[in-house]
Amino acid sequence: MRILRLELKRILKAKSTWILLILALVFSILLAYLPVSYCYTNYTDGEGKEISLTGRASIAYEKERQSGASGIVSPERVRRAVEAYQACLSKYGVAESYDLPEGVYQQEILPIAPLLHGVREAFADPNTGMAPTLMEIDPKQLDSFYTVCEERIVSLMAMEQPDSPAARSKAAEMYRQVAKPFEVYPGMSSTVMDYQNIMGLLVLLFCVVTAAPVFSADYQSGADDILRCTRHGRGRLGAAKAAAALLISGTAFTACAAAYLLTVNSLFGWDCTRTSIQMMYSIVTLIEINIGELQCLFAAAGLLSVLASVSFTLFLSSRCKRTGTSLAMALAFCIAPVVICMTLPGETSGWICSILPASGTSIQASVLYAITDFQFLRVGSLALWTPYAMIGACAIEIPVFLFLTVRSYCKHIVN
Amino acid sequence: MELLIDHVSKQFGDKKAVDDISLKLTPGVWGLLGANGAGKTTLMRIIAGIMEPTSGRVEYNGVPIQTLGERYRDLFGYLPQEFGFCHELTVWDYLEYISALKGIPEGRSRRKIRQLLEQVSLTEVCRKRISNLSGGMKRRVGIAQALLNDPEVLILDEPTGGLDPGERVRFRNLLSEFAHNRIVLISTHVVPDVEYTASCHVVIKDGSLLAIGTTEELVRLVEGKVWDCTVPAERASEYEHKLQLADLRNERGGETSIRYLADQPSIAGSVPAVPRLEDLYLWLFPQNGEQNWRV
Repeated sequence: MRILRLELKRILKAKSTWILLILALVFSILLAYLPVSYCYTNYTDGEGKEISLTGRASIAYEKERQSGASGIVSPERVRRAVEAYQACLSKYGVAESYDLPEGVYQQEILPIAPLLHGVREAFADPNTGMAPTLMEIDPKQLDSFYTVCEERIVSLMAMEQPDSPAARSKAAEMYRQVAKPFEVYPGMSSTVMDYQNIMGLLVLLFCVVTAAPVFSADYQSGADDILRCTRHGRGRLGAAKAAAALLISGTAFTACAAAYLLTVNSLFGWDCTRTSIQMMYSIVTLIEINIGELQCLFAAAGLLSVLASVSFTLFLSSRCKRTGTSLAMALAFCIAPVVICMTLPGETSGWICSILPASGTSIQASVLYAITDFQFLRVGSLALWTPYAMIGACAIEIPVFLFLTVRSYCKHIVN
Repeated sequence: MELLIDHVSKQFGDKKAVDDISLKLTPGVWGLLGANGAGKTTLMRIIAGIMEPTSGRVEYNGVPIQTLGERYRDLFGYLPQEFGFCHELTVWDYLEYISALKGIPEGRSRRKIRQLLEQVSLTEVCRKRISNLSGGMKRRVGIAQALLNDPEVLILDEPTGGLDPGERVRFRNLLSEFAHNRIVLISTHVVPDVEYTASCHVVIKDGSLLAIGTTEELVRLVEGKVWDCTVPAERASEYEHKLQLADLRNERGGETSIRYLADQPSIAGSVPAVPRLEDLYLWLFPQNGEQNWRV
């Protein structure tokens, strides 16, 4: 413990560590504010005056207008919302809400819009996946809305995973177990989750930059020659250095994630976090959680990903004689999931992205998008949902890379 | 107590940095002399256990140092030639950090740090960051860390680099005090640093052992080869090129005293001089690149 305490003191005495930690925290709060700054509402008031609202004022206005839609999304409420939508568009003789006269959308459609989420998707063509317009849906069918949704996941999986019956049945089974009806509490958009993803990646990069020189800087400066000639200068020091880096990274990520979530939820309203994930993403999303739980799950997965990436970076650091090399390699591995996700075909990219330690918070290939997607990895005749694979891989990688790091540090020989 | 270096060689590609060196180090101060690139640092790193020899082995009291592992490092102190510090730490924090790594209990470590800071004259700067210290001060911090665990085996690679003459003297005194009943190996190419403190010298060249012995034994090898004479000042530069000069001093009256190395006197009026270890060094490592002699 004494070595760990002194190692922590050593890292925390470096100005660069504090600069990176403070920057990460400031960026987290800034990123939490950005989705609010993009909120915009434009409407005409009772006196015919055009009003533009931005930021929190816009959120407050929309929440107030949509307060009637809040609560349980029962099939009956969905049917009434669709009927109201169809009646409105019929009254003005238009086929799309974009064509409504000015002010009508805000007056008649906006208050019911949260309940219309996912209706078109649920009624998508089972063969083509094309969603009908709301005008084409028979409201009577909405009495069995959730049965339609369960049928939709079957047809969707037939298109997504045609060669994997295991994945198809697993997905159908998972969706069946999701408690229905869903709930909706308007006011928050999925942008909040996208920015949480960016925050995670940013903190991950800061942590990797902090961890990359842990061993290699001492090799490079020659400080290691003195350290490894001491009684505890090999195994215990290696373990203490790795533990200190993990502790600092873990604390930094937790603090940044907490700052982000506290800020963003305070700005949008904590009630929004009770919305079912299916009412923000796909109506057939396979997991039973609300947005607050999604935020926490994603933060936990992000923490695991950061710890796995830092463990991997420490391993690289213990192998590289120069800080520049360990840093460049670590950063390359951090952005690898993004590149692989964009360049390699589905199954291969799915496997690689699930294994790479940084994929938990990577852009496009993160746990967040995996949760809202329908990708399964095939393991023989079994199918493994990608988010489980990503989280499992990170949990395994942390001890494995830590062991390899300490072993590599102990065996490091000057040449 | 003995440290045995048994037929140790180290090869880097085609170059043999250390070539089949065998030595038995017993308690006392040992000077490891050699020009730059002679293989001193490589040999010291092998003895420190941070570099593996291509062949041969190092044993402490009959047990290979790899087998001893932690026990060897426990009785070992090492100051590398070039070393980095944790620059963000203060002198005190750094020594406390190394103490912890050396397994010294906290209370004892504080007393030892205070004592060493006093001995290396760093007490006043102990709360300063290492990055703000001068080169000589950093070197003294290095010496202090090597002595923290009262090592039985102390390996110092060029310990006096960057020290001013006063600090050099204090270092020599500290070492003489410390070396009682311990093995101390000091590598240097600054001969006076070890001439009077080392009980025995090891001379290596191009990775090979060239000579070994006490100061008296080694200087005997150049007996009759060191000459003193006085020449007119205007001819001094001529002799500088012709002869292997050990010393050149301008005297009053337009004359210059020179001390040179040669098998036979080369200048009329030369008288044999009492040889010093530095003369042997210059004889073995001639500055004009010629090889004078092999042992």
